[in-house]
Amino acid sequence: MAVDFAVELKNISKTFGSAAANKNISLSLKQGEILALLGENGSGKTTLMNILAGIYQPDSGSIYVNGEKAVITSPKDAKRLGIGMVHQHFKLVDVFSAADNVWLGRENRSYGFRERYKAEVSGKKGIGKFGAAASVIFHAAGFFVSERLLKKSRYREIEEISRSFGFEMDPKKKVYHMAVSEKQTLEIVKVLYYGAKVIILDEPTAVLTVQETEKLFGVLRQMRAEGHSIIIITHKLHEVMAVSDRVAVLRKGEYVGTVETASTNEQKLTELMVGHKITLNIERPFVEKKKPLLEIRGLTIENDEGACAIDDVSFYIRGGEILGVAGIAGCGQKELCEAIAGLRKIKSGEIVHKGENIVGLAPKKIIEKGIAMSFIPEDRLGMGLAPSLSITDNMLLKNYRDDNRFSPFVNRRRGRADARTIISELDIVTPSTETPVRLLSGGNVQKVLVGREIETGPNVIVTAYPVRGLDIHSSYAIYDILNRQKVSGVGILFVGEDLDVMLALCDKIMVLCHGRVMGIVHAAKTTKEELGLMMTGALNLVRSDEKRTGIAKDTNIKEQPS
Amino acid sequence: MKRYHIVKRDLLTPGRRIVFYLLAIAAALLLGALLLMMTGVNPLSYYFKMLTIGTVTDSGELSRLAYKQVENLIKVFVPLVLTSVALSVAFKMKFWNIGGEGQFLVGAVAAAFIPLKFGVIGNQALTLLLMAAAAMAAAAVWGGIVALLKVRFGTNETLMTLMFNYIALYFVALLGEEKAGWNVFLDPESQRPLFRSVWDFVTMPAITIGKFSLSWSLLFVLVLCILVYFYLKKTKHGYEISVVGDSIGTAKYAGMKVGRIIVRTMLLSSALIGLAGFFKLTSAGPLSTSLTDSVGWTGIVVAWLAKLDTVGIVITSLLISILRFGCSQASVTFGAVDSRFADLLQGVILFAVLAADFVIRFKIVKKEEA
Amino acid sequence: MGVEVLTGFLYSLVVYNIPLLYGTVGEIFNEKTGSLNLGVEGTMAVGSLFGYLVGCWCNSLLLGILAAMVFAGLCGLLFAFFTVTLQANQNVTGLTITTLGLGIYYFVGHGVNKNLGWPSMQAAANVAAGWKAQPIPLLSDIPIIGKAFFSHNIFVYLGVLIAVLSWWYMKYTKAGLRMRAVGENPAAADSCGVNINRYKYAHILLGSAIMGIGGYYMALNISGEYLASTGWINGYGWIAVALVIFAKWNPARALLGTFVFGIFKTLEVYNDSIVAAFPKAFGWLNAIPLKVYTALPFIITAVVLFAGSVRKKSKSNQPAAVGVNYYREDR
Repeated sequence: MAVDFAVELKNISKTFGSAAANKNISLSLKQGEILALLGENGSGKTTLMNILAGIYQPDSGSIYVNGEKAVITSPKDAKRLGIGMVHQHFKLVDVFSAADNVWLGRENRSYGFRERYKAEVSGKKGIGKFGAAASVIFHAAGFFVSERLLKKSRYREIEEISRSFGFEMDPKKKVYHMAVSEKQTLEIVKVLYYGAKVIILDEPTAVLTVQETEKLFGVLRQMRAEGHSIIIITHKLHEVMAVSDRVAVLRKGEYVGTVETASTNEQKLTELMVGHKITLNIERPFVEKKKPLLEIRGLTIENDEGACAIDDVSFYIRGGEILGVAGIAGCGQKELCEAIAGLRKIKSGEIVHKGENIVGLAPKKIIEKGIAMSFIPEDRLGMGLAPSLSITDNMLLKNYRDDNRFSPFVNRRRGRADARTIISELDIVTPSTETPVRLLSGGNVQKVLVGREIETGPNVIVTAYPVRGLDIHSSYAIYDILNRQKVSGVGILFVGEDLDVMLALCDKIMVLCHGRVMGIVHAAKTTKEELGLMMTGALNLVRSDEKRTGIAKDTNIKEQPS
Repeated sequence: MKRYHIVKRDLLTPGRRIVFYLLAIAAALLLGALLLMMTGVNPLSYYFKMLTIGTVTDSGELSRLAYKQVENLIKVFVPLVLTSVALSVAFKMKFWNIGGEGQFLVGAVAAAFIPLKFGVIGNQALTLLLMAAAAMAAAAVWGGIVALLKVRFGTNETLMTLMFNYIALYFVALLGEEKAGWNVFLDPESQRPLFRSVWDFVTMPAITIGKFSLSWSLLFVLVLCILVYFYLKKTKHGYEISVVGDSIGTAKYAGMKVGRIIVRTMLLSSALIGLAGFFKLTSAGPLSTSLTDSVGWTGIVVAWLAKLDTVGIVITSLLISILRFGCSQASVTFGAVDSRFADLLQGVILFAVLAADFVIRFKIVKKEEA
Repeated sequence: MGVEVLTGFLYSLVVYNIPLLYGTVGEIFNEKTGSLNLGVEGTMAVGSLFGYLVGCWCNSLLLGILAAMVFAGLCGLLFAFFTVTLQANQNVTGLTITTLGLGIYYFVGHGVNKNLGWPSMQAAANVAAGWKAQPIPLLSDIPIIGKAFFSHNIFVYLGVLIAVLSWWYMKYTKAGLRMRAVGENPAAADSCGVNINRYKYAHILLGSAIMGIGGYYMALNISGEYLASTGWINGYGWIAVALVIFAKWNPARALLGTFVFGIFKTLEVYNDSIVAAFPKAFGWLNAIPLKVYTALPFIITAVVLFAGSVRKKSKSNQPAAVGVNYYREDR
């Protein structure tokens, strides 16, 4: 008899150091459904699924698989229980072929002595019991060895298996030659080949094009039809609505609830996700129009894989203005920020600051011009902070050279003063200014990062996801800081995720879709729906626009006589 | 049902950490005592002999040559502490300079070259100064190449410095064997190839206090340690080293020229090790392939035991010097114990401390199942 | 005369360098699972000493080999325990194994020499007999090559066999595939259900045990005379570390590399006889200082290492996770 639930998680808690990632979460997955696990960044979705996949050990709580209590202490246990996870950062061996990556986790088959013996006795008349037994043992030895060898036939076997799942792939292709979508396919084949009945996908669409996403959803639906139970982690509402049967929502490490997809809508889900009906009370102070500070023309950038991340983008930021950048995650936001900060080479185009082209300048020179960049990556500590150093030392990161150019010493007194200022202004919870940043909780780490950028007194602030994972109170503190900077004449590029916030906070919003500008609109004159359509590429205002998008009339750039 | 698993824990207080380390060292010495007992040696009298480094005679009085023993201890201590401190500078940056042996030798060769080729230049002091400069420059080049390759091509520095150790070692061996006109390193008087001592030209000056002569090298080295301490803790360079060591991405983001910092730091680290070679050469006599007395290796252990802390390194170097020199002294009395018992003890101590590290960094969590 | 010199040269080439093969194959097992074990020198020293003592005391070559494997394996266990279970830094742990291993060699060797009397290899008849060359029938009758390559003691054949088997194991078995995955991307192997710790422990132990046999060989090769100043291993362990790079982490290439490196080591001894035998062809060898031969393996390795880093990452053959500990819950 089939049990209702494929997986039940009960009262799962997990802390990292002093930060709680999961607090007493209970969640269940029905047989043969697609469950979307929804939540903002930092809400603990990935941690929870990593616990189910055996990567992390929960501090407390229990897991039931098919109604039976399960102990999962390693990925091997999860695999044995039929749980497979496709991680956001693929876990593949680059120098191996596709087939070998799958073969890696293949369990040796057992021989099945009894069946073989029966077949032997009945098959070959006159062999006798003794002869049959000898023959079986002889075959078993051969089988035992052959199971443990790598044979050429594995390529064909993997190719056939993946075809039977509905995927075409070249089993001999090395992973380092693969495109992202191919890698994802390989991960899915792996999981299916290991016999997973429960499949977890962590942000599978983040790296896919619209067409690839559609195709993936088709695959998921087919897998559901074949009896698999699927959990898909995402924070994109339209995908949740498109593919899931039920939606479970997490918020700041806590379980909020589960709803039927059919009986809900994006608005309700958003409320569950963020906690209350959004009546955002973010101010948008009015500031007199100033000359453009930062102008970007025809910018094209490649990502690490050599694909086009930002494609012929033009925009400008005036002093006293917040320009929002909206787009699905991984649409070139990171590359854009890095290029402005001088951390990434651009392919073509101009980045002009107060009339001066800053392309090719060293990051240090760009910092000196007063352009501050803060990018909060998903792991929060990746860029911009030195985790083992104290808050004081992290405050000094960008301006330790400035005090007295000829002094060989670092001025820690000033760093400490700056640290004290941001600790009190942003309510950072820390034992002292000398505490290593990695010992702070996520929200406090971010406040240190954003606080420092503002302390340096820039005239242009580029900030990406500054409120990622922060609670409402801290988020408002950050908005407030940004607004104060805006009033004082700073130009701000705000790369965000939450459209409601951007609509309330920004003056203008630029929408990117796969590295292209879909339009730059006034926040007061647009709607969330319009932005959403532009983000998915369904609406492109650039084409219909008469004037050239993203080029200021009162530009500082001296036009080349053409 | 109970299950155990290992999780990282928050930092322990310094007091508790020290207790763990002391326990570890005690355990290591206890194991050493057991081994000594197995060879029929009274561990207490052995350890006493070791710790007093032969300054106390068998009858329990202060030896008439006690001052000589202290001088010899200083000769062991000076190269070790300087090498350890120099290595810690590179390790702070997570640059695995295990090429101390090679840089030390290259430094010593360059230092020896000056007087052996040119004789005394000007006066003694100037010659010594030139020797020190040559040692630092040559060793810096030797280490700097590896850093440059690392920065430019990502060449694995651990393996590369290792290779450079042996290339340097056999270069010195070659110098010791080839009698030829160009080879100024050999003694012209001797028929067989024999390294010529720089003492024929220069000696490291010393302050004499009664019979005891306190080598200037000790004072120089202690001053250098203080300077390195300030360099790492207070200067912009030191700050850059800790940021690069912590996160290269962050360093780039802050506008630091990471490649330049790595090369510069490695130049400093290897130059200081070359200088240690110079001190050893002027205090312990002619070149030889065993001139390093393994300080390039021991220095790594010392730097690690002291958690790369400069003050800690000075103390640890002193203790390890006492251990090593003491064992060689004790082996005179205790014929059954080889002087390289020190190696064994040093290894056991490090493993005990590594085990203590684990207890400090991680904790084992017991999980009760319902 | 020329023929004799050539035969002698090739014979010595094999005899003196087979320990390198053991050390190298052992280290490849370590590095292929992501462990840069710099304790080869110490591990071989420990294996050599205990192998020799046990072999002589029990008058059994086999027990000697077993003891060498077990005691060297214990060094491996120490390395594995500290780097895998306790997550200690690999460089420091490996170097300490070397220091500790040499310390044990001198402490125990000295102690035995002084207190118990050093056992003689000749007195242990079975060991001495086992060490005798076992010419392979027919093959050993081939001129020059027969004497040089097919008239050796069993350790030589065993070493070649181990190298070839290891190559086959890494390339053609599933356990070999998994082992390589552990050294390339432990997180990926882990997610496929490969028990990382078990694979690391097993291969570090296996590799260290193989190093131990090499150490035992070195002891027997100098008739078991206790060397109080240089020790038996005398840097061979470090050459093995270099050879791993030259061999591009491939045991079959290690076989080739052993002889390439071996040529230099052997030339150090045979330089004069070769020049005397072939003054026309090899007279120029006289111009080369002997220590250049000693240094050449390291110079070549440095060049190979450099060339490997200039090439594309996927082609350099170096296991991507070598030197890095794996902690599953790291974020």
